[in-house]
Amino acid sequence: MLSVDVLIARVNEEFGIGLQPADADVDLADLAEWDSVHLLRLVALLEHELDRVLPVHDIIGARSLRAIWAAAMES
Amino acid sequence: MAVDTFAGTGTDAGALSGLGELRACARAGTLAERYPRVRPLLERLDDDALVLAGRLLARLSPAEVRAAHPGIETVRVAITGRCTLAELLPPLTAHLARHGLLLEPFVSGAGHYRDLTDPGSVLYAHRPDVTLCVLDPVTVWDQITPPWQPYDVALALERERQRLTEAAATHARRAPDGSTLVFNTVPLLRRFAHQLTGLDRRAELGGIWREAGAQLLYLADPAAGLAVLDLEPVLASGIRADDPRLGAYAQAHASPAFLAAYAREAARLIASLRGGVRKCLVLDLDGTLWDGTLAEDGPTGVSASGSARAEAFGAFQRTVKQLASQGVLLAVCSKNDPGEVEAALTAHPEFPLGADDFVAVSAGWGSKAEGIQKIAADLGISPSSVVFADDTPFEREVVRAGVPGAAVIPLDADPALHPERLLAGGWFDLPSVTEEDAARPARYRERGERESSRARTADYAAFLRGLGVRAEVRPVREPEAARLAQLSQRTNRFNLTGARLTTGQVLKHAAAPGALALAVRAADRFGDDGLIGAVFGRAGGDGLRLDNVLMSCRVLGRGIEEAVLAGLLHAARDAGHPAVTVHWRPTRYNAALPGWLAGLGFAAAGRDRYRHPLHDLPEVPAHVDLRLTLDPEGGTGCSASTC
Repeated sequence: MLSVDVLIARVNEEFGIGLQPADADVDLADLAEWDSVHLLRLVALLEHELDRVLPVHDIIGARSLRAIWAAAMES
Repeated sequence: MAVDTFAGTGTDAGALSGLGELRACARAGTLAERYPRVRPLLERLDDDALVLAGRLLARLSPAEVRAAHPGIETVRVAITGRCTLAELLPPLTAHLARHGLLLEPFVSGAGHYRDLTDPGSVLYAHRPDVTLCVLDPVTVWDQITPPWQPYDVALALERERQRLTEAAATHARRAPDGSTLVFNTVPLLRRFAHQLTGLDRRAELGGIWREAGAQLLYLADPAAGLAVLDLEPVLASGIRADDPRLGAYAQAHASPAFLAAYAREAARLIASLRGGVRKCLVLDLDGTLWDGTLAEDGPTGVSASGSARAEAFGAFQRTVKQLASQGVLLAVCSKNDPGEVEAALTAHPEFPLGADDFVAVSAGWGSKAEGIQKIAADLGISPSSVVFADDTPFEREVVRAGVPGAAVIPLDADPALHPERLLAGGWFDLPSVTEEDAARPARYRERGERESSRARTADYAAFLRGLGVRAEVRPVREPEAARLAQLSQRTNRFNLTGARLTTGQVLKHAAAPGALALAVRAADRFGDDGLIGAVFGRAGGDGLRLDNVLMSCRVLGRGIEEAVLAGLLHAARDAGHPAVTVHWRPTRYNAALPGWLAGLGFAAAGRDRYRHPLHDLPEVPAHVDLRLTLDPEGGTGCSASTC
């Protein structure tokens, strides 16, 4: 997964929502289309895409998609 | 940018195009409007792709879909449990849509399914047709603290059983009539069982756990409103039940894969409760039922035993035979010479299936879609109640396109996988199998003999006279209630209202003061048709009101339906009723019935009602020997001449 933009595109496709690239830095609580279920789906999606086990606690605790992407890439 | 989309998900090209169309509709905001397109698209999706499709569908407002398509069948489902269950909704929405049902969900947030035992809860305000009480893999373990022994778990399981029994009792009282509560068995997780280091104690825990599961399963009586999904066979296929991380950080104790598998089983259960059952399994021959190619190897050259591969076909035939023993009609649709097919079906006594096991054989070189349409017409069933299994993708596409509504099972080149592919869709699941089911294939064969006799007799009236038709109408007895409920679920063409009843509802109706619940049996010289019809009604000041009349398609056209109605009209007049009123509610299949009622002298009397003033009564057809009694004791029956 090359960038947070790719992550957003995959999220839109898999979750059936319409986030924009600019949403990468928005606090998840302020994203109208985002809910806690999406966070769980995102963990599964990232682990599948990156083919490795991720630090779920760090990802669930991150506040934006960019922070989530960074936590996943750093692990 | 998303060049790696779906890489490695195992989703095939057909699924991708189906998903693509759904996504395009969702983006354009036309998914609700184009909802009838959804079902055929879902037919092609594998389970992974169905979850993705479900995420799109679950975002739709059911009210919006209903507004665009008022005739769509809706099922109201309440979902409750201890943990986060939101991931159940997408696969449940998609699986139900695949069965033609629109999900109207309510997901409880109460925790510990306390809302089930609270008669005033929002769950009951949802008026659920079905309530799913999801027991997750961590059930009871939150009550266990160290140091613990198997005995402590046994106590916790017993407390749980009591809670569930109480919940079931409240549900039976508080949920709408005919509603079903669904529990499930709970897998024993290794991370708990292996906290016991003594192997003897660990084995004891395993025994206690399975005993608790068995007790839960013994509670099941789906026809009476309590079902239990046995998840062990499902999880044994290789599904991880929990994700400890999501459990720890997000209270999601059931893994998405567990919930998706649960959704698939629950949707099948709901579809079977709704009467979505299929009646006939149509099978290809070469590569499906036997090894070899009939046209090349000849009738004696095809095999289902003698080699490992051939034995795999034999195992598939035994699976099919087991389905047939429970009432599934078997038919063959093959592109081969008819004579060769007949020879091959009779030439192999070592095959589990022989010519006698099939109620219809269509062999020839035309389209298989036409072959299936003809089989359905010959059997008097709807083409949409057919399940077709074939190992050739082309033939499957032909049938998908040419037989709308038929279920198509994709078999592949490996016969060892045929049995699980055949059973994957649960197309033949029923709330309960009755004696009538086991006898069904024989009755359809008798029907075939009757049809040939009819074809040989030029004069239809003479044919009917020669049939020796007998019909018996009498109040339903308790053991017949399950069959009556099943008739309400299976009959479409001759079902005045389309109402589907559970066994419990049939018994309740029969016990109500002034109510009429009649079972209709038929027989003729070709055989006993068994219990083939039902009449539900009640007597009131304005006369006899018939709430529903059902008749199996299998017996239509022999004068039985006219005899039953004429007999009832005579009996009503003799009993001093001023009129008989019939309720008709249009469904997709029963549009012909008002014309039929008019032919018997009924006249429209307000919305969906037809009334017979009992002045000029139709005669019971002379060729039918009708025995009709409305007395539950059965002592004062009357024959056609006196009713």
